[in-house]
Amino acid sequence: MQRRAFLQWSAVAPAAFATVTTDIPKYRTVSKYQPHPYKGFPASVVSVHSAKSIDEATEKVDPQTVRQMIERGMTALTGESTPAAAWKRFFAPSDVVGIKVNCSGAPRIMSHPVVVADIVRNLLAVGVKPEQIYIYERFPDQLESVKYGKYIDQKVNIHAVEMSRGSILNYDPETFVEVNFFGEEDTRSNLVRLVSEKFTKIINVPNMKDHGAAGVTGCLKNIAYGNFSNVARSHAHEKTNTKTFIGTLASMEPLKSKTVLNIMDGLKGIWHGGPFQLKNEFGFFPKKMMFGTDMVAMDRLLIDVIENKRKAEHARSVWDRSRDQLITSRSSDPNKNQFIREPGHIEYAAGLGLGEYDINKIRLQEFEI
Amino acid sequence: MLPIFLASILLFKDQDITGAVKLAVPSVQYRMNVASATSAPWVNANGWLIQRSPGKKVFYDLPKGGAELALAEAHAYNADAIVKIAPEDADAFAKMNAFLQQLGSAGPQVGNIAVTDDGSTQAGEGLNLLHRKNLIYRMVNGPDPKADLNIKVDKSINNPLDFAADVREKLTDDKRLIRVYGSAVVLANLTSDGGGRMRLHLINYGKRPVDGLRIRLRGSYVVKGVSIYESAESKVADFTNRDGGTEFSLPRAGLYSVIDLETK
Repeated sequence: MQRRAFLQWSAVAPAAFATVTTDIPKYRTVSKYQPHPYKGFPASVVSVHSAKSIDEATEKVDPQTVRQMIERGMTALTGESTPAAAWKRFFAPSDVVGIKVNCSGAPRIMSHPVVVADIVRNLLAVGVKPEQIYIYERFPDQLESVKYGKYIDQKVNIHAVEMSRGSILNYDPETFVEVNFFGEEDTRSNLVRLVSEKFTKIINVPNMKDHGAAGVTGCLKNIAYGNFSNVARSHAHEKTNTKTFIGTLASMEPLKSKTVLNIMDGLKGIWHGGPFQLKNEFGFFPKKMMFGTDMVAMDRLLIDVIENKRKAEHARSVWDRSRDQLITSRSSDPNKNQFIREPGHIEYAAGLGLGEYDINKIRLQEFEI
Repeated sequence: MLPIFLASILLFKDQDITGAVKLAVPSVQYRMNVASATSAPWVNANGWLIQRSPGKKVFYDLPKGGAELALAEAHAYNADAIVKIAPEDADAFAKMNAFLQQLGSAGPQVGNIAVTDDGSTQAGEGLNLLHRKNLIYRMVNGPDPKADLNIKVDKSINNPLDFAADVREKLTDDKRLIRVYGSAVVLANLTSDGGGRMRLHLINYGKRPVDGLRIRLRGSYVVKGVSIYESAESKVADFTNRDGGTEFSLPRAGLYSVIDLETK
């Protein structure tokens, strides 16, 4: 990563949305980092399904099946003949790797520790030392509830960013997005300091979830809201700013360039009430994992996963913007919501150069284990 | 009557407080039952009332545990204060007083918003909100052409929150003298020695230290001194001068932090 000092002071607005300026808050992005030329595998997504990956009754995950799913996903994504060769396409022994897990709904829904453990195993096989691997999340209570330490080498770092909720101590004071959504006093969202100063690569490990504000939460939201401070302000009101804020954050350097791989853990998902699991029946079991470097393409496919499940459950579409669904607090009624959902954040992110949104241009490879 | 600090903060000893302006107990009310991004804690602070009462004595009647915060506030706003404390707080009072003595006088108030005040209750609420939003102002008798913004506070203010938002919008964030990032319970004030030295006062009304406070000041300064109550820390972190501003972090902001600055 080159670190030639430069600043991005521009308001971020992709050309495709340039005429809809009234909907786009004035974002000021400040970063001294430049993009890395790595392109990955644009518009390519590998989906691996296995009926035996998780037991629906006990929610016990089968490590051997997960291992096979990850092997298949990684070799298919890269075109390499062995898992080792596939992982070497992304990582070298000198890398310091952050694994961005999602624990916002833990301990009921999270990047499963069996999945994360197999990712760690593959990094170790490449030669990355355990001390150079960081499993990280913003909030310690959520992270600790998963107990990743039971599944991995004890030398692997497990790191929570905000040791006291709201503290910006572990965020980079010189890499941030500044925006005033509704007159809030603290208008900055700063990048996790480990991301800018320590990690050389990031693996993004989201789940497949509905999200009350963003519509769905997958790659983009996990990497965006999981790496910046002071983001909940974007959904302080029923009409949220998630549509533009998620992509704006995800496109910030060096986060964008360092996020080289996305492994979406869809063994279990949430079809309503996300990011949490408010009721047992809102959990479901896609029993699949998706692999890719294109966050937009993966999230575009995620919309269909969540939307189809909601349709099967006779719940409102994530695209429904009618006001009669609005209520003032979280609800276990799948046809009520606190916010107008913004699944359009994925197409918006495509406009920022984060990936391919057109379903007809996404090359999906599907496998069954 | 016991002189405590530069004769401006006096410990209450049954002296006559007739005519003194009674202040609220400095504190913060966390609204834990309000779960939304807008449920900022409510800070009970008196800087606005001290500024509004030049030449008048102010009086704090404090419960147990309230002495240190009140003294810090009185010092930061140059109050002529009489302070009644709980007997158990004598040590805390002495400790904070020793800290203030080391600091010396706060110096005259600085502010780029010039405020004329009709003295009404509604105007007071407007001043309170300016203060709570760290919109740094000074009181004037008439418009000041040197100020970035001249405003009147009067009884026409119906909604103090909207009023403060309107002032912020008119001033613009770029022209704000101080921005505080990373806490909703730290209020700032700026004083000067009348020359090139400025003093930034950061009062943490919360019950816990703030880890990782970020400050932006309008203008280019160098840091000449850092004094944090109950801390040996003497430096700021991640200092930068950029784009007409000075920024730095305090890894841990205790109850009262004072940063001395010099124009670059």
